[in-house]
Amino acid sequence: MSADPLHALASAGKAKSTRSVLRVVILALIAGAAIASRLFSVIRFESIIHEFDPWFNFRATKYLVAHGFYKFWDWFDDRTWHPLGRVTGGTLYPGLMVTSGVIYHALRALTIPVDIRNICVLLAPGFSGLTAIAAYLLTNEMTTSNSAGLLAAAFMGIAPGYISRSVAGSYDNEAIAIFLLVFTFYLWIKALKQGSMLWGALCALFYGYMVASWGGYAFITCLLPLHAFVLICMGRYSTRLYVSYTTWYALGTLASMQIPFVGFLPVKTSEHMPALGIFGFLQLLAFLDYVRSAIPSRQFQTFLWVFAGGSFGLGLAALAIATSAGFIAPWSGRFYSLWDTGYAKIHIPIIASVSEHQPTAWPAFFFDLNMLIWLFPVGVYLCFQELADQHVFIVVYALFGSYFAGVMVRLMLTLTPVVCVAAAIAVSTLLDIYLTAKSPKPVEGQPADGGDGAAKKAVKSGLKSTSKPLIGVYGLYSKVAIVGALTVYLLLFVLHCTWVTSNAYSSPSVVLASRLPDGSQHIIDDYREAYQWLRQNTREDAKIMSWWDYGYQIGGMADRPTLVDNNTWNNTHIATVGKAMSSREEVSYPIMRQHEVDYVLVVFGGLLGYSGDDINKFLWMVRIAEGIWPDEVSERAFFTPRGEYRVDGDATETMKNSLMYKMSYYNYNKLFPPGQAMDRMRGVRLPEVGPSLSTIEEAFTSENWIIRIYKVKDLDNLGRDHASAAAFDRGHKKKKATKKRGPRLLRVD
Amino acid sequence: MRWLPSFLSVSLLAAGSLAARKSSEERFKTYHAKSLSSTPVKLGDSTYRELTSTPRDYTVAVLLTAMDPRFGCQMCRDFGPEWDLLSRSWVNGDKAGESRIVFGTLDFADGRDIFMSLGLQTAPVLFLYPPTVGPHAAASPDPIRYDFTSGAQQAEQVHSWVARHLPDRPHPPVKRPINWVKWISTFVILSGGLTASYVAWPYILPIIQSRTVWAAVTLISILLFTSGHMFNHIRNVPYVAGDGKGGIRYFANGFQNQYGLETQIVAAMYGILALSGISLAIKVPRISDPKAQGVAVFVWAAILFVMYSFLISIFRGKNAGYPFALPPFM
Repeated sequence: MSADPLHALASAGKAKSTRSVLRVVILALIAGAAIASRLFSVIRFESIIHEFDPWFNFRATKYLVAHGFYKFWDWFDDRTWHPLGRVTGGTLYPGLMVTSGVIYHALRALTIPVDIRNICVLLAPGFSGLTAIAAYLLTNEMTTSNSAGLLAAAFMGIAPGYISRSVAGSYDNEAIAIFLLVFTFYLWIKALKQGSMLWGALCALFYGYMVASWGGYAFITCLLPLHAFVLICMGRYSTRLYVSYTTWYALGTLASMQIPFVGFLPVKTSEHMPALGIFGFLQLLAFLDYVRSAIPSRQFQTFLWVFAGGSFGLGLAALAIATSAGFIAPWSGRFYSLWDTGYAKIHIPIIASVSEHQPTAWPAFFFDLNMLIWLFPVGVYLCFQELADQHVFIVVYALFGSYFAGVMVRLMLTLTPVVCVAAAIAVSTLLDIYLTAKSPKPVEGQPADGGDGAAKKAVKSGLKSTSKPLIGVYGLYSKVAIVGALTVYLLLFVLHCTWVTSNAYSSPSVVLASRLPDGSQHIIDDYREAYQWLRQNTREDAKIMSWWDYGYQIGGMADRPTLVDNNTWNNTHIATVGKAMSSREEVSYPIMRQHEVDYVLVVFGGLLGYSGDDINKFLWMVRIAEGIWPDEVSERAFFTPRGEYRVDGDATETMKNSLMYKMSYYNYNKLFPPGQAMDRMRGVRLPEVGPSLSTIEEAFTSENWIIRIYKVKDLDNLGRDHASAAAFDRGHKKKKATKKRGPRLLRVD
Repeated sequence: MRWLPSFLSVSLLAAGSLAARKSSEERFKTYHAKSLSSTPVKLGDSTYRELTSTPRDYTVAVLLTAMDPRFGCQMCRDFGPEWDLLSRSWVNGDKAGESRIVFGTLDFADGRDIFMSLGLQTAPVLFLYPPTVGPHAAASPDPIRYDFTSGAQQAEQVHSWVARHLPDRPHPPVKRPINWVKWISTFVILSGGLTASYVAWPYILPIIQSRTVWAAVTLISILLFTSGHMFNHIRNVPYVAGDGKGGIRYFANGFQNQYGLETQIVAAMYGILALSGISLAIKVPRISDPKAQGVAVFVWAAILFVMYSFLISIFRGKNAGYPFALPPFM
């Protein structure tokens, strides 16, 4: 069957230079595919920044490009968190903005006129190409198989778990952070294998870059010491480990402390303590190792190991005491909620309220990783075969990555790289065994004897299943069957990834797409319509109050000051907005006046059936407000006696009188024939008489009613309170309406 | 002796009316003395009315509960010890009664009429009667009700609620007694375990150093985590649910829901898929007999193919728009 062209191809593949050329070409194609698969949203919609957080990053990048680096570093933003402001330069991770700024200036220097917006939109796809290459490098450190690295690069390039946060326009910290994560791990393995200070320093450099880019750097900060610790426990302490870890820790910590937002955290908080502890422990071990080589007494060695274990225990106890005494800050809420999973719901509702902090159900794993999810354990098992230092890393990473991904949907992102690497090891092992022209000759005789002898030796170190010698596959049919099935699975994987990317992850969420009955696409552009209205029709310093989700977008698109935004640094301020939204008008109005609010913005999905609207988020506002003012806001009052959350005629009085309810449904019933008003999101019929407003007035409602903007009325000219003034305007004349005269006063309830 | 019950009731009535005429100060003294001996004070119909009658210059915190197993009130039984703990540590910390609060408990069995008159359908209910006269008098004599919306609460949470309604008065903190049984049993188990492991060290060491054991532990935990076990743990999902026709539903509807059994089935499927992958990669090429090897390849490949197809079909059930499928389960 070995025809000449096949031979020619095989021998061509053997030439070393041809192989490396092929490899470079394939890697370039994979990077191209990774970029291309992320462009759905640009092609379908336009080159636009997505979602919420990216709008802030975009705004910060524009500031950086316009004012230069030092201004950016000292940036105090008085247009958010009115009236507090935000020390933006000191409370952000600048890596992303600086990266785009550098690219922008580099392209300018090459006289390529490119808009900063396009750089921001395309940064994530560009870096995903680099991530694919980093995955290739990392996998090549794990196995000698030629195909594993390329497979890992391909998986990394198109796995939906990573695409979800890196499509074009998704200009978020994760866009560059995942590349840095994988590349830092590669450099760490490289440093550990060679015991090289150079690689360790490079690892520290990229670790520093990672710290500058994403809060998820703590994952590296905890994983590397854990790897080192596991190696020590396995009795694999070596000078290589000592050199690489010490170099990384010393330089990396110094680098991370240069970021103002991180500052002295690496020596003060619990998240960073494992790294420091292992650093100290390694010094001790190095000293003991030296002593041991000088004094070769067996009893003395036992004593040394007991001494090492004892000092480790003492260190742990000292850490516990220092934490309880307050010298070291305990785990911050966000990290702590990863361990004690019920913690956030009780103590920090603002963290529990974010949808990406929810636990992960199994369909999400399959959706994001498809067949990789079952190849993943195979790859991890294969790592146990050899179990060199770098394989221990994969095992540790796999365990912790899958735990974190199970607790928080968002951390699927940190799991994806190790899944891709492990699955690539599994697939390449299968391909190496089954996709080969060589077949072993059936041996007659009795191979069992030799096998047994080898088995007894192998059992001690290796896995039980690998005790017999590797023979190979005899039949051609077996090979064809397995390779054919694998091809089908791989093709299905590509189809799945493309489908998921195009259907689930390519919506900008600023612009919504829907299908008309004839199948054509209809664009719903209410957000931008409303923000444009704000930009054109309000004073430049008009303060906008909205729920914090929309803060960054209002700042980025409408360029107006906001009360709260997605940087949720001040819980009380957010609770204030929550209280204003969930209280009666008479309570809300003084709050709004005190905060100089000019306009209030709400998102309403009742007309269109849009699920991400404020009525659906309302309970979180109530909960957060209740956390600060338990006497004035009560979640219980928003539920009917039967425990239902309703918005129709049976809604509770508190609900019907809340500002949020009134703003959402004001005038809504006029769209419908009398008595037929329907909320299409919640699928309920609304009462015939809609709510009335007295302290605010409708200013703007977008085409599909998704965004409604209200203007806060000034104090009444005649000194009446707003309720009676509004009643007078409606024609209900009250007897005592004109009795009160006096100076204009702000009523504070 | 026929007159005895009627006499008793008459005398009780008289005593009740006498007690009702006691001044607020006297009442507080009586009940505070009672609470010093045993707190929370166990109340009945008449004592409840007496204690909460106006005018009063003290606060009353009453838990209306139903401890009898007949009512099946799980939350009452969960909250009962916490309530006892709260009142005990408060009274012990404030023996002089400076905070002027009396803790009481009214069981449904002793105070049916009170439940009826208050129109209570559920238990437990925690009422706080604010003082009507004196320096801390509240505007309304009506009790404040504590919400048990999120299940039985810890004593500390209720303590902060009570403390919030008693400003400018001492708030003795909740002191949890040291759980001696727990400490001693932990110590015994720990030392026993240490001794046992010291004795059995030669037998344990090979297990700890066995790569196969570690591999198995790692793989099982990975399978658990990736099949949504943490979701079950955090959300307390039901194990299975009925389908409304007397049968059992194994798979929940919708992308964001799952049942306990469902995740176990999924984990088992992942496990079988991974096992066939491992067998194909490691075991099969080590079989020395060509025929046995051929059979093994086809068996494992078939298992893998069918299982994967089944997995996709289940996923399609969860996610209606999913377009892909493999042959046996189309």
